[in-house]
Amino acid sequence: MLFALTTQELMERPDLWEAVHRLRYKIFVEEMGWTDLKRPDGFEIDQFDHDEAVHQLVIRGGELAGYQRMLPTTRPHLLTEVLVDLYEGTPPSGPRVWELTRYAVAPGYRDGKRGVSTVGTELIAGFVEWGLKRDVNQVIIEFEPMWVLRALQLHFLATPLGYQRTYGSQQVVATLLTFNEHTLDVVRSRRNHHAPVLARGTPDMLGMRQAS
Amino acid sequence: MSQFDRTLEYMDQLQHADTAAAVCETLLGVTSHFGLTALMAGTVPQPGTPRGQQKDHVLLCDWPVEWLERYVSRNYVDHDPVVSHMKDLQAPFQWREASRAIRVDRDSGEVMGDASEFKLRDGLAFPLVTLEGQIVMVSLGGEAVQLSGAEFGLVSLVSTYAIGRAMQLHTQAVNTIDHIELTPRERECLKWAAVGKSEWEISQILGISEHTSEKHLLNAKSKLGAVNRVQAVAEAIRRGYIS
Repeated sequence: MLFALTTQELMERPDLWEAVHRLRYKIFVEEMGWTDLKRPDGFEIDQFDHDEAVHQLVIRGGELAGYQRMLPTTRPHLLTEVLVDLYEGTPPSGPRVWELTRYAVAPGYRDGKRGVSTVGTELIAGFVEWGLKRDVNQVIIEFEPMWVLRALQLHFLATPLGYQRTYGSQQVVATLLTFNEHTLDVVRSRRNHHAPVLARGTPDMLGMRQAS
Repeated sequence: MSQFDRTLEYMDQLQHADTAAAVCETLLGVTSHFGLTALMAGTVPQPGTPRGQQKDHVLLCDWPVEWLERYVSRNYVDHDPVVSHMKDLQAPFQWREASRAIRVDRDSGEVMGDASEFKLRDGLAFPLVTLEGQIVMVSLGGEAVQLSGAEFGLVSLVSTYAIGRAMQLHTQAVNTIDHIELTPRERECLKWAAVGKSEWEISQILGISEHTSEKHLLNAKSKLGAVNRVQAVAEAIRRGYIS
């Protein structure tokens, strides 16, 4: 199940807040080596964890298994403030365009393969469902070029926003992905799972396995 | 028009290409500016894949035909330094780096030497990983390859869109053809099942054992992706295998 929470809702749940910022630290600072984000407390937090950000959490068996953060493009976001060399011209913005950042699958949920895990595809199904519900049909993502291929496999319409750059050992390209109901169908068929993934409300306390 | 607008135009052309050949042509239209005139892209066969199946892995190909024939018939895929280098690496690289990076044994030296004979002196290659975790390799080559770091990025990005489009077209084709082939016996058994005959009755009509008629029906059922005999019959009629 995927839960979409505002920053306010996330802060009201210290267990979730901690899990989110720790997972982000583990993946982006420790694994990917984004040392600018290093902090002694082991939480990764930046200026975009503001009150309009939407945090999407995949919970499996009472644990945080996956995470991504959606930012509105109607105010400064990662592409316009930090990753400015990734776009040419004027980047798209508006109420129907959001930026997807900090896509992360917890180490125990990667299925041990090179491909995208079920938590990974749940995050994808999740943002598409979430977007279609609130009339959002485009997301900006800064990702490795192989994700362009994967996005096309899932029938997103992909448009590069600039040239790909090398950051450390990583290649990154800013891409605009456009989606509709058909994209959601394709994502669901690829997952062999047609039920909606977006849950209402907030998850149970972490560490509590639901009976059933 | 800015260089980037031109790039976007290529992407747009790729997204509207209806055949693998059109995808190839568009991509080579971009890369030939940098001396990359030959293209091969496909999923990487497991070492030891029978020669007959190697060509099924190809998604895009505009490569000297004789070179491809020789490549397959001599099983070069298992010795190609570009292929082995690519499996270890997740980033684009130039062919000459690959032959430098690994100790070139007799077999891989032969592959590279043969490639030059076909006017493929240098090129670039890069691996991509699909949703399913399959490695897709894109290789572009030519006689006089000349490109800057930025152009390298442009070429790999356009290639990524090209291979993405090729995969979309490939999936569509597979879905249309469906790859179902029923044997004449399976078809016959289904035809009798469609008029309400039991396995025993079918075996009597066709002069085969009851066990055999049951087996034919089971095979037909699984080929048609049906959960039971009724669905198998319905599916066979819908697809026009029986009337």
